[in-house]
Amino acid sequence: MTSDLVYHVAGAGLLAIALWRLATCRDTLRRITALNVLAIGIAMVLLASGHDPATGVTNPVPQAFVLTGIVVLVAVTAALLALAERLEGSSDE
Amino acid sequence: MIAFDLALAAGILLCAVSALTRRDRTASVAAFMVLGLLVALSWVRLAAPDVALAEAAIGAGLTGALFLRAARRLGPLRPAAGRTLAVPAALVASGLGGGLAWVFASASPPAIYAPLVAASLPESGVSNPVTAVLLNFRAWDTLLEIAVLVVALLVANLLGSRRLVPVSLGEMTLPFARIVAPISILLAGHLLWQGSSAPGGAFQAGAVLAGGLLALVLAGLAPTGTLVVRGALIAGLSGLAVFLIAALGSEALTGSLLGYPNRAEKVWIVAIEAALTLSIAATLCLLFTGFEKRKTS
Repeated sequence: MTSDLVYHVAGAGLLAIALWRLATCRDTLRRITALNVLAIGIAMVLLASGHDPATGVTNPVPQAFVLTGIVVLVAVTAALLALAERLEGSSDE
Repeated sequence: MIAFDLALAAGILLCAVSALTRRDRTASVAAFMVLGLLVALSWVRLAAPDVALAEAAIGAGLTGALFLRAARRLGPLRPAAGRTLAVPAALVASGLGGGLAWVFASASPPAIYAPLVAASLPESGVSNPVTAVLLNFRAWDTLLEIAVLVVALLVANLLGSRRLVPVSLGEMTLPFARIVAPISILLAGHLLWQGSSAPGGAFQAGAVLAGGLLALVLAGLAPTGTLVVRGALIAGLSGLAVFLIAALGSEALTGSLLGYPNRAEKVWIVAIEAALTLSIAATLCLLFTGFEKRKTS
């Protein structure tokens, strides 16, 4: 068993947990957290599949994808949280 | 090292379960932040230090701060109403996860891109392959990514997200902010400059700078006038403007969009990255602090 396989399985595990919570949870903040965990899982699977254990080098193209994904995700999270806060504020009044 | 990898993977999965099942919001966000840091560690193990830096600064740090702010504003978790299809959802999710793990683990790694990037690296003007991909070979993607940041900033502005009012944190915050803010500026400059040859770059530098700014805001040291917020908004939008001007300029000079002139690639890349660093820092800071002053009710 190689260490790459460990991270493949961990990434897929994160993905499964996040999908399960996305499907079963009604709380907005928890769903946004699940979306973030889902993105981390996908990033981990991508990076693990780009890693070459023979040379120890990781393919720079998936690295750039994941880096882009992290920045886009924080922007999406901030916009979603602003929407969630707005929704919460309007349901209280 | 396999024992370390196994322990790390177990820790990551435990943190994810904890972040998504704890009923206490603060505990859930804390677990999410620990998850981000452990994931960053695992990406160092996967030889991706650029991504690990970004995950630690943005994924764990800033996203965690955003979640804490939202947790405070949204109030405690409400009990779930109605019946959910927990068992079928768990079956489908674990099936998808297992299938994906099997497909990715059994597929051979694509052998096209890495040699291509390595072969064209001398032409890119920088020696860090990730920076070369981000700002030269696939600069289009990065341009659109900055456009996404601008859209998020505009959405938050249009929604009138409430301005954060920092609570006085006590005696130690002032010296802490005085030490952290200058160090974050130095660190951001260092990350920006070394991004062309070693792990680092505009996103990591911008996130670190935003962290320093937030330390100032939370210590109550940052000016909060309307003019300052407008200035920060303009700084946030300027990254996309500079990137677009650079794209049009390179089109005029070389005839290809974002195809930098020969032997001046590094100057172009570092100039664009410097503008992006300031813009990303201002954007992330504004997304956290909000725009409108709290209405007195």
